Order: sequence, then C-alpha cells, then structure tokens
Amino acid sequence: MNVNWFCVWAVVGKEWAEIKRNKAILLMMALVPVLLVAMIVGTDYFMLRASAAGQDMDEDELPIPEQLQHLPQIEAFIIQMNEQYMFYLLLIPMTLPVYIAAHSIVGEKETRTLEPLLATPISTWELLVGKSIAAAAPPIVLTWISFAVLLAGLWFAATPAILFYTARDVWIVGMLLVSPLLALLSVMVGVIVSSRVNDPRAAQQIAGVFVVPLIGLSLVVLFGMVFINVSMVIYAAMVILIVDLVATYFAVKVFQRETILTRWK
Amino acid sequence: MIRARGLTKQFPHFGKRGTETLAVQDLDLDVQKGEVFGFLGPNGAGKTTTVRMLCALIAPTGGEAWVNGHRVGEQDRAIRASVGILTETPGLYAKLDAVTNLSFFARLYGVADIPGQVAKYLQMLGLWDRRHDLAGSFSKGMRQKLAIARALLHEPPLLFLDEPTSGLDPEAARVVRDFIDELRGQGRTIFMCTHNLDEADRLCDRIAVIKQRLIRVDTPARLRQQLYGHGVLVRLRAVAPEHVAAVKALPFVQDVQQADGSLSVKLDDPQANNPRLVRALVAAGADVQFVEEAEHSLESVYFDLISETHEEESA
Repeated sequence: MNVNWFCVWAVVGKEWAEIKRNKAILLMMALVPVLLVAMIVGTDYFMLRASAAGQDMDEDELPIPEQLQHLPQIEAFIIQMNEQYMFYLLLIPMTLPVYIAAHSIVGEKETRTLEPLLATPISTWELLVGKSIAAAAPPIVLTWISFAVLLAGLWFAATPAILFYTARDVWIVGMLLVSPLLALLSVMVGVIVSSRVNDPRAAQQIAGVFVVPLIGLSLVVLFGMVFINVSMVIYAAMVILIVDLVATYFAVKVFQRETILTRWK
Repeated sequence: MIRARGLTKQFPHFGKRGTETLAVQDLDLDVQKGEVFGFLGPNGAGKTTTVRMLCALIAPTGGEAWVNGHRVGEQDRAIRASVGILTETPGLYAKLDAVTNLSFFARLYGVADIPGQVAKYLQMLGLWDRRHDLAGSFSKGMRQKLAIARALLHEPPLLFLDEPTSGLDPEAARVVRDFIDELRGQGRTIFMCTHNLDEADRLCDRIAVIKQRLIRVDTPARLRQQLYGHGVLVRLRAVAPEHVAAVKALPFVQDVQQADGSLSVKLDDPQANNPRLVRALVAAGADVQFVEEAEHSLESVYFDLISETHEEESA
C-alpha cells in the first residue's frame, strides 16, 4: 500500500492543533494520569507511614501470592495493590484515544469538513492512519510518562522492594507493548462507533465495554489468584493484537470515501 | 476538461434488499476548457451526486467519465489533485484560524509554496486582516470566501462550485460572483451547481438542466430560442382585433399573444421580418409606439423544461 506520509503528518498536525484548543480533551488528558499517579504514590506512602506507626492495616485479609511471601507483610500487600493499579494506568491508552478519535470524527461530521477533506488527493487509508496516530500517540506517551513519574514517586515515597516490583520487566513490557495495542483498539472502536453516532460521549460509553476485561483482570490480580509474569503479558498482547486486527478490519470497512459521504449521518 | 458518457449512479436502499435509488441516469456531458458551465435541476435531481462522481469522491455504477484527461474510477487521486471543489457547506475547521485551515489543505494538495499561496488567496479575497482569527468567528460570507480560497490553493484548472452564493447576503453574493467572473478571465473552467437562475444566466456560458437524466444543455440564449423561438414585443397605442388579424396573416408569424396594449409575436428571422411586421400593423391602422425583443427569463425556461419532464414522467 502506497502511503504518502506527508499527508499523514499533515492530518496529525491538524488534529493536534485542534486538540490544543479543546479544553475538555486537554483537561481529561491532564487529570486522569495526574490523579492515578498521585493516588498510587499517595496510597503507598500513607500505608507505609501508618504501618510504621503501628496502625493495623488489615493486610492479613488479602491472600498474598507465594512470589511475595518472603517480603514483610506490609510491602507484599502494597506491591499487590500496585499490581492492580498498573491495570488502571493501562486505562489511559484504553479510554483517552477513543475519546479523542470520537471527538475528531464526530467534529468533522458536525462541521461538514469531511467532504472537502475527502476531495483532496489524500487516501482514506492515509486519513485513517493520520487520525489514529493523532488520537493514540498522546495517550501512549502520557502512559509512559505517568509510569516514569510513578516510579520516580515510588523511589521517594516507597521502599526499594516496592519500587523493584513495580519497575520489574512485567510492567515495562506491559507499558511499552500493551499500551500501544490498547490505544490502537481504542481508536478503532472510536472510528467504528463514530460512524454511527453524533456524540463523542456516546462513542466513549460504547467503548467503555472494552474496559471491563481490564478491570476484571485487575481484580483477579488483587485477590492474589494470579501473579503476573512476562509471558502472561506477551500472551495478553497477542490476544489484544488479534482483537486489534479485527477492529481495524471493521474500521477500514466503514472508513471508505463513499460510505462516509453517503451513509454516515 | 470533462467528458461523461452514460454516467449512472444507483444507490442501494440500505436494509431493503433488491431496491435501489437511481440518482443519475445515462448522463452525457462535455465541458470545454475555460467554460463556465451551469448545472441546474431541482433538489434531488442528482447534481451533487454528479459532482461527487466527477470529483472522484464516489464511484459511478455505470458509464464512464474523464476529468482533466484522467479516467474516473482509475485515476481518482490524479483527478482530486487536479480539481478544486467548493462544497455546498463551506466545511471549515471552526477552532482553527484562517491560515491554519488553508495551510492544512495546501499540504494535502502538495502545494510547493504554502505561505505564498495562502497569503495570495487571503489577500485576493479580502481576508488578510482576519488571517489569525478562528474560522468559527467568521460571517457566512467570509466562510464562503475562505472555502473558495481553499478550493484554489493548488491552482486547479477545473473548479466545481456547489451553490457558491447560497445563503449569502446580496453584497457577499456579488463579491463571490465577481470573483467567479475573475476566475473565468484567468481561463479556468468552472462547473457550477446553482438554484439561482439569474446568477446562472449572468455567469454561465452553457447550462445543463438535469433531473436524474440530462434534459437539455446549451447556452442560455439558445435555450430560450429553442423553447420560445424569436419573439418581438410590439407596443401599440391601442390594440384592435384587426391588428391581431393582420399580424396572424403574415406568413413568417408563428404565434401572436395580446396583453396590456402589446402584441407578443413569435416569428422567424426577426431581423429580416420586423420591418414587414411593423408595415403590416401600420397598414392595419395601428399606432406603433415601441418594438423590442421579447425577454424570456431563464427561470421560465427552467420551469418549462422541468414541467415538460414532469408531464413525460406522468404520461
């Protein structure tokens, strides 16, 4: 497939110029990672302080996986909680791209800019790639930055053991590999849903269904049923990749020049 | 510039198997270089569908067409690069300023000197002082001008204008019309869909009237002639039955209508026969005050053509 990257980057530049002027998106992009990181670091810090002060944390109630049983109980408990929080961090590339993509496409429908845009020499594939990069890249980078800031925060606020387990290969691979795949899925869902609805929030609500498995997995981890390792992350990435390919197939199908002009309402 | 033969577009009725809507049927068109070509028809006649097919936005389901030497359906990217289009609604990014709007499209069209071209058209259309204002803050007329600038950034030899003055106030409409006239002076070919028949009459070299299929195509003057022949309006001090009888007796007269102290006479070769007509009236005792060419508006031509089609369809 012959892709004119000059056109793709023109679309990316235009999309980002529009995002910069959209306060709702900017606020969401700023608030979600800041709140998540602050919550994780804050929780770890106050639990350690409370434990040091001899306050009872009820950590006995949570089953600790055997991989953490050599650690002091409070550290094992916090690490297990952080394992669950890491899934929440992966919600950034899952929830933000769908919102940005839906805003972008629904916005084009509302302002009727799609026809003049499609009348240019750009191919629908280049347009889709441009919109996908524009919607997915900021949340992916934001996820990575949040992860880095989280590790820096834990370096100050937590113990070396907590930092070690949070910064272990599982989550580095998870952040680098899984977050782009989740972002791609999120964008494709945004494209598919936006072809049918005229409200970005509706697109986001429908895409919310895809968050459920992630939350479910986080609870499984929290209750000590599974202790995530690298091979599990890679298997999960492969499954998400397959779902991505299916979603991309349907997104490309609805994102055709004639379909957009004659069927999108 | 444009050649279409048997161009047809059928849309499937989504959700209903086996039913289709015929938007355009067997359309033959030839638009020459430098021509301002008017495309008229009622709502739903297939004008926008035709423009979309010719701009390689949607694929025909039948027939073939060439635009700027490129075949529709085979060289679509080349067609889109070589035409400019003003869509029915301006379609601008409201949260971006005028310069960013135009620069984005200039990049997509592969314009070499983007700042130069953007400045040229913003100045030409009187938007230079508002270049850093958001397109969303523009009046309807300014938005239309910005959309015209966008269609011209890559200097296309062929321009499609869909309702270029629709919804504009008279002053803004006049600016747009003058600009279209200026573009004609530059030798560009303009394909214009409009419901404004007066505008079509003033701007277009030739006019096509369509309703799914082509009803008639010609210059406005020849369309009038084809429909009404050559007409002369003779104003008399008072019209008497013998005056009408004298005119009817002339061999070159096809029809005579009497109205308001005037005779509307349809005749062959007015230049040769008008003196004979006046002499016949004077001989019949008429006091001739004025003789003038009978005017038929394009509007009456249009309505007659469309009603002819309605009658054919109902028959």
